Amino acid sequence: MTVDFNAPDIDYAAISPQIALMAGICAVLLVSVLGKATNRNLVTSTSLLGLGSALGLMIWQSDRNTDLVAGALRLDGLAASAAIICIGVAIYAALLGVGEPAFFENGQSRHGEFNALLLTSVLGMVQLASAQNLVALFIALELLSIPLYVMSGFARGRRESLESGLKYLIVGSLGSATVLYGSAFIYGGSGSTDFGAIAAALGDGGLASDPLIGIGIALLTVGLAFKVSIAPFHQWTPDVYQGAPTTVTGFMAVATKVAAFAVFVRLFEVALGPAASNWQPALAALAALSILVGNLGALGQSSLKRLLGWSGVAQGGYMLVGLLVASEVGVNALIFYLAGYALMNLAAFSVIAIRERESNLGDSLSAVEGLGGERPALAWALTISMLALAGLPGTVGFFGKLYLIEAAVDGEYTWLGIVIVIGSMISLGYYLRVIAAIWMRSAPDPASLATSALGPIDGGSPEGEREASGSRLLIVPLALVAAAAVFFGILPDPLVDFAKDAGRDLIATVK
Amino acid sequence: MSTEWYLVLSALLFSTGAVGVLIRRSPLVILLCLELMLNSSNLALLAFSRAHGNADGQVFALVVMVVAACEVVVGLGLIVAMYRRNLPLDVDEARVLRK
Repeated sequence: MTVDFNAPDIDYAAISPQIALMAGICAVLLVSVLGKATNRNLVTSTSLLGLGSALGLMIWQSDRNTDLVAGALRLDGLAASAAIICIGVAIYAALLGVGEPAFFENGQSRHGEFNALLLTSVLGMVQLASAQNLVALFIALELLSIPLYVMSGFARGRRESLESGLKYLIVGSLGSATVLYGSAFIYGGSGSTDFGAIAAALGDGGLASDPLIGIGIALLTVGLAFKVSIAPFHQWTPDVYQGAPTTVTGFMAVATKVAAFAVFVRLFEVALGPAASNWQPALAALAALSILVGNLGALGQSSLKRLLGWSGVAQGGYMLVGLLVASEVGVNALIFYLAGYALMNLAAFSVIAIRERESNLGDSLSAVEGLGGERPALAWALTISMLALAGLPGTVGFFGKLYLIEAAVDGEYTWLGIVIVIGSMISLGYYLRVIAAIWMRSAPDPASLATSALGPIDGGSPEGEREASGSRLLIVPLALVAAAAVFFGILPDPLVDFAKDAGRDLIATVK
Repeated sequence: MSTEWYLVLSALLFSTGAVGVLIRRSPLVILLCLELMLNSSNLALLAFSRAHGNADGQVFALVVMVVAACEVVVGLGLIVAMYRRNLPLDVDEARVLRK
């Protein structure tokens, strides 16, 4: 006897990027098991193949605007642009990871594990950016986070790395649990887990000021603030950024923010849009606090990764402004800023990674002292990245901030625009300190720069550790992102076009 | 029976878990407290699911159980790795990264 049932209509073309990533995960694991354990180039190529095809398929599908998998996911401009940035960042991280000393253990390459985790995390990000159901949101959030906990603790030989993994796990799980408890209350108040149905219950059902919904919104805000490191839920950020292997830090600093902000926007503007007057003031306060705390915390940091961690808190505050104004202009400004943020941060993290492999000064500010005379290419890339993060004209950061301020003024949050400007002025204090170290100090004592066989990483293998060839190849992608950060600072139009579908599609869903 | 009692219990469990994560020093106990937070959410989801008479919440709770297991696996893995290196299993001692 056959039983018929209504199978959900699955649009395979639209979920093909996710299928490509799944296939990539399996392929990477198989290659690393079947191939020789030391074959890092083969593993990385397989991983790049998976990511590349996912990127291609995503670009192919990027003008779609449709519900997927019975409404659990939605592919629209927001999902596509966030996914393209995340996959791009992952490609960069895979390249950066080839020579990462932390990925060698007792002479064995662990690139198979790293790349499989990287692809899993990216899969979570792509799903998170398109989630439009609380269940899908939670699964995608955890699919993104759990591999990142492992990746942060990847250098098992280094105490800092393990500590950063454990800290990230505890704080990340606290954030996830809070998101989950908030989701439970939103479901309790509205009777549905679907974003559209929640919006209908809040809007037409008049539940916007229901206490259950209020509790839910508060918990969701706190949980997501943990994930995107918004003050006062940011304390973990500098520690985790500093302790994790630099490749991993670069990836999670950028890609996690992109994906988490994408779902933050979709959840708050689509599902909780009718209750906007309840959450807008709270988010505005968080944004202002985050901008001030992040910028003040970064002053006086001597570790570059910690500095970028604090700067990430401040940048998260800027981005939150684009979210809370709940307008098309705001979402476009947010996506523009996220894309720019990816370019400038990747440039900074790869310079740190390269210097970490060349000298034994780790990620401290003295590792880049005198870089201007010694390695002008690296020096220029880091300078561009610092100027862009500070938002100076002629870099992508300038237009990013300009659009955010425009959105703030447009959404009657002019005072937040002023806070952004004040924050940027404070931030010059530490970004310029890095630039001064690059160009105005002399290089540290050559003895400490010597590429000693045993660097700060114990348990690593001498052969895999210091590979000048690896870092020389890295100059090419580094030059590309740095050049893009300047190019879009002079001609922002291509990036504006890239971002503008996001806001249009999202606001069309809100109706 | 009213849903409120379940919600009060779940709120108590959630707060117990959250306070435990913040004040306990052993990473193992912290993991237990995280589990408590996730399970308090499950209780709330099931209560709401019965109240609304639809199964969304129950499906959600099943998903949460799977995810919680994954999280614990990673947490225990990290704790074992720290133990093997003879690092103190105490989150207050884990402060190499503080400056």
